[in-house]
Amino acid sequence: MDQALLLLLDATNYVLVIILVAMGLVIVFGLMRVINMAHGELFLLGAYTLVLLQQAGLPYWIGLIAATLLVGFIGLLMEELVIRHIYHRFLDTILATWGISIAIKQGVVLLFGPGAQSTAAPITAQLQIFGASYPVYRLFIMAVALLVVAGTFYLFFRTRFGLVARAVIANRSMAGCLGVPTRTFDRLTFAYGAALAGLAGAVMAPIMSVDPQMGLGFLIPAFLSILVGGAGHLAGPVLGAGLIGATDSVTAGLWSPVMAQVVVFAMAVIAIRLFPGGLIGRGGPR
Amino acid sequence: MKFSAQFFADRRNRADAFVWAGFLVLPFVLGEWEVTQIAQYLTYGIFAMSLALIWGHCGLMSFGHAVFFGLGAYAMSLSTLGMLPGLAGWTSSYLGIALALAVPAVFANLLGRFLFYGKGLQGAQLAIVMLAVAVIAERLMARWPYAGGMNGLMSVPPVNLGLFGVEIEIFDPLPLYYLTLFAAIAVYVVLESQVRSRRGVVMRAVASDEARTTFLGYDTRAVKLSAFTVSAAVAGFAGALFVAQFGFVSPPLIGFGLSTEVLIWVALGGRHGLLTAFLGAIFVRLAENALADLLGPAWLLGLGLLFVLCVIFLPRGLLGEIYTRLTLPRGAADTDQR
Repeated sequence: MDQALLLLLDATNYVLVIILVAMGLVIVFGLMRVINMAHGELFLLGAYTLVLLQQAGLPYWIGLIAATLLVGFIGLLMEELVIRHIYHRFLDTILATWGISIAIKQGVVLLFGPGAQSTAAPITAQLQIFGASYPVYRLFIMAVALLVVAGTFYLFFRTRFGLVARAVIANRSMAGCLGVPTRTFDRLTFAYGAALAGLAGAVMAPIMSVDPQMGLGFLIPAFLSILVGGAGHLAGPVLGAGLIGATDSVTAGLWSPVMAQVVVFAMAVIAIRLFPGGLIGRGGPR
Repeated sequence: MKFSAQFFADRRNRADAFVWAGFLVLPFVLGEWEVTQIAQYLTYGIFAMSLALIWGHCGLMSFGHAVFFGLGAYAMSLSTLGMLPGLAGWTSSYLGIALALAVPAVFANLLGRFLFYGKGLQGAQLAIVMLAVAVIAERLMARWPYAGGMNGLMSVPPVNLGLFGVEIEIFDPLPLYYLTLFAAIAVYVVLESQVRSRRGVVMRAVASDEARTTFLGYDTRAVKLSAFTVSAAVAGFAGALFVAQFGFVSPPLIGFGLSTEVLIWVALGGRHGLLTAFLGAIFVRLAENALADLLGPAWLLGLGLLFVLCVIFLPRGLLGEIYTRLTLPRGAADTDQR
């Protein structure tokens, strides 16, 4: 019973973090038709910012906020310097952002070395749940992820900003004709998506080994979640991440983490083949 | 004489023949060590041509092309080490090469049937699905103890061209270099004739607009499937030649890392031409050889940035841009879409 409960909690934790990463990806993809292969490295930058600020003696909370803002700003720079030039060349966005991801990864290696960094969680308490003990910090991560996802849904479905953003997604040129500054929306959304990745990286940093290769481990599951769930709607990645994260955690718990990856990726490939537009939503990435 | 005059009247043929002639005389200029190095890079060049065939000409971008290279490498290693299941102790380079062509081709054909038919995957989906396939292949190979697991297989013997008990091991730098070079030229001639034929035109039509090509009565899925299969066989062939020189095969050869490297070589060289992709692989490897020790991690940083710039400003690739300007009639360089 304890085992099952812990497995369930870990699975929920993993799913929520994947949703956080995938959410940033899908916003950028939906609005701008840009596939951001550097999203994993934005996650990485968030984690390193937190580590650096904590080593400088600043409190965790400041690090968390600074990481989110800094990575959002880096997203803004990326949009301005690179993405802007290739909006109409869909496949080239994959290549260009892949180049950026290599450059960021190597920049981090140059600055911090290839080794792993570690940082302490701000909350070390354990909580007793039905006789099993569970770190409170992991519950905190879940709360942050839930809040941010809920906030994103609120932003996109209940505010005027969200309404206009969805108008740009649905029909960019018509939105432009109605006086929507689509360029500003591109910049803001790209920065917002990047900031989500930075936040995810910072919040995960205390419970994983922070090294230059950590981004890819989140990028691929996040991509597969989007493709499985469908990119046409914000709920797509939530469903996809739920399926992928749950399968991964359960297989890892019952078999082995490596085989979990194999099983999950193979299942995702089959799901994408059977439902190219995603389980939810109209029209996949084309 | 008439044929050769016609042949050299085409600027592309002149440029290509010049490059291959350059490779033929290279060993007279370089030392033994460099020749051994370049012989290895030639196999990467063949690999790059296989990717250029599906990516540049058929519009199929793949983040997992090393799966086929790695399958070829493993097939060759298992055959020449006498470790083929059911044929234990029976070693032959010819069998190895045949399997290195056949195994990736069959796998690509089955995978292609699964991915292209039915509802069919498009552009980015295919790229990311192939990425997942590469990760799966790498993980599975690392977990397969018979093929050496994580450590791979050591001391793979060199190519042995002997038949009927005569041993002709190709091990010395010069014969090895020329054997690989002739293999590369053969691959180039076969693929280039495909690309310039009617089939090649249909492939590029599929790349530029698949729906319209379907309306013109072509079975675009079959076109993609056959290009994918041929490309996988060539990649497997490159893997077999590589492992016979390198003497060592391990899971990274089949995985995600090499898949993205070859993508970068081809993009920098120029994906629209087989020769430019081939040269891209060789130049990037040479540059890496010269600069990696000097610059350390900064080399890869520079390569990443160069790659970004090249994608944005020179979609035809660094060499592809030069090649197009050299080989087209004057004044046509900016209008041609080749």
